[in-house]
Amino acid sequence: MLAIDAKELTKEFKVYQSRPGLLGAFRDLLNRQYRTIRAVDGINIEIEAGEMVGYIGENGAGKSTTIKMLTGILQPTSGELKVNGFDPHKQREQFVKTIGVVFGQRSQLWWDIAVQESFRLLQKVYQIPDQEYKQHLGRMIEILEIEKLLDQPVRKLSLGQRMRCELAASLLHKPKLLFLDEPTIGLDVLVKENIRQFLREINKELGTTILLTTHDISDIEALCSRVIMLDKGKIIYDGSLTQLKKVWGGGRKVLLEMEKEISLDELQKRTADLSVHWESRSPRQYIAYLEQGDGVSDLLSRLVQDMPIMEMQIEEATTEEIVRKIYQEGIPVA
Amino acid sequence: MFHLRLYMEYLKQYMKVRLAYRWDFVAQFVTDFLFQAINLVFILVVFGHTNNLNGWSQAEVIFIYGYFLIPWSIFVAFFNLWDFNERYIIRGELDRVLTRPVHSLVQVIMETMTPESLIGVITGLIVMGWAMTDLNLTWTWYDPIWFILFTLGGVAIYAGIFISLTSISLFTDSKSDIQPIMYNIGNYGRYPVNIYHRVIQFVLTWILPFAFVGFYPASYLLDKANWQWYAFLTPIVGMVFLGIGVMIWNVGIRHYRGAGN
Repeated sequence: MLAIDAKELTKEFKVYQSRPGLLGAFRDLLNRQYRTIRAVDGINIEIEAGEMVGYIGENGAGKSTTIKMLTGILQPTSGELKVNGFDPHKQREQFVKTIGVVFGQRSQLWWDIAVQESFRLLQKVYQIPDQEYKQHLGRMIEILEIEKLLDQPVRKLSLGQRMRCELAASLLHKPKLLFLDEPTIGLDVLVKENIRQFLREINKELGTTILLTTHDISDIEALCSRVIMLDKGKIIYDGSLTQLKKVWGGGRKVLLEMEKEISLDELQKRTADLSVHWESRSPRQYIAYLEQGDGVSDLLSRLVQDMPIMEMQIEEATTEEIVRKIYQEGIPVA
Repeated sequence: MFHLRLYMEYLKQYMKVRLAYRWDFVAQFVTDFLFQAINLVFILVVFGHTNNLNGWSQAEVIFIYGYFLIPWSIFVAFFNLWDFNERYIIRGELDRVLTRPVHSLVQVIMETMTPESLIGVITGLIVMGWAMTDLNLTWTWYDPIWFILFTLGGVAIYAGIFISLTSISLFTDSKSDIQPIMYNIGNYGRYPVNIYHRVIQFVLTWILPFAFVGFYPASYLLDKANWQWYAFLTPIVGMVFLGIGVMIWNVGIRHYRGAGN
């Protein structure tokens, strides 16, 4: 069964437009003007159980709106949506028992009460049997190392501590599907890595499907084999991360520094049959731009034997650069 | 049953937090009590100038006020929807509520409870008892049953009206100032309705039926035969208004647009 199955999913908002000035305000009072905005515009998403998928897009691309529809908070304007086999909004109370949600900027825990009391309340809310609760919570406490935080009120925790408790809270009822919205925002590198490690573990151990929205591309690189990219309410890319790099990565850059001066002609002659473009920085420093990422070994085999190479550096466009490029320039390959 | 047990769990946690801030807790009690005392003084001042309010004696008016405090306090204890717009819509806590497997309204009610307001029930009973020493009332065996039904009906009326008003926030994210106005109108229900103009009487009976919260049931208990048929309607009016409130809430949840990020 598909964990998420969305067909032509659309969400429209009516936005009230105000006219400028005091006179405009009076006219608004009598005759309001509305404009319809399509926050999510006919998207199709199929996610298999057990996948870890990154969902990315700029602010206002429709990410949050999609997540809110998938979690049952908002009712879609049109389209078909089945998540874990349920209609999220219409069968909300049954449905939400099968999902876990972590919103990085909003706490799921009760601010004033101790962490363990929050967990206990959640146990009652989700009606988890005592035996199962104890066992599962014990495991969570162990991997997330939150033993010492349990008797602290949430407001006294640091952001990283709180986030680990949030994760435990979202998984108490063993959801099959976990939504994470900016789970590592504002965390330091070490905590980030811990949380990623934990997510990999529960994905492997419990087969939990994970949908991750984030601005931090390194989260996606560390966790997801698949990314879905959203722009202006439409999906502009859905596929593997390696494919994304290959198609839009723009090849590689090889920086060479020679022991003695060599002419550009010489280099061009040796690599004439390769799709490579040379650029000279000084008579001893050259940059080779390769269109295909896999041309590096060919290039080197032409040069190393009788070229006095002193230093060499291979550079690849980072995913972040690629994503930025896509947003700035639009879709290079349709 | 599930909701009741859950309510008790929330209550336990609530008490723990409240008791941690002891003096705040005590201060709340004192202010609640003072607020009710001032209302009582107001009635006494009015009767210092006259001994008859359109056919109602001082003791009777005090009795009605005492009775009114009971459903009112229960309502405030369970349905504290004052800052719903600010907390749940603007700060977006409704999103979290909607990702949990309990009816959204039940969760909001559990998260906003103020059980210390129940002290008003005791104040109300004391005020009623005090008024009764001046009144010659005979209670039959079934009067306490009516008393409970009236009280529940009154709570349901208040709940229904305020749930409906709160639901407006689900349709529009602009703030509405209608709630405080409604709290004021609600206070009209604790005086005999026949002291008001006929239009207001009609409104308080059929449109915003606050008269069913205080006046009608209390006058039944005061053995005023001309109002008793209204009193018997209290539980029904309560059911109807609570039903309407919950219905508007449910429609509102379907229209909910979510907090912006």
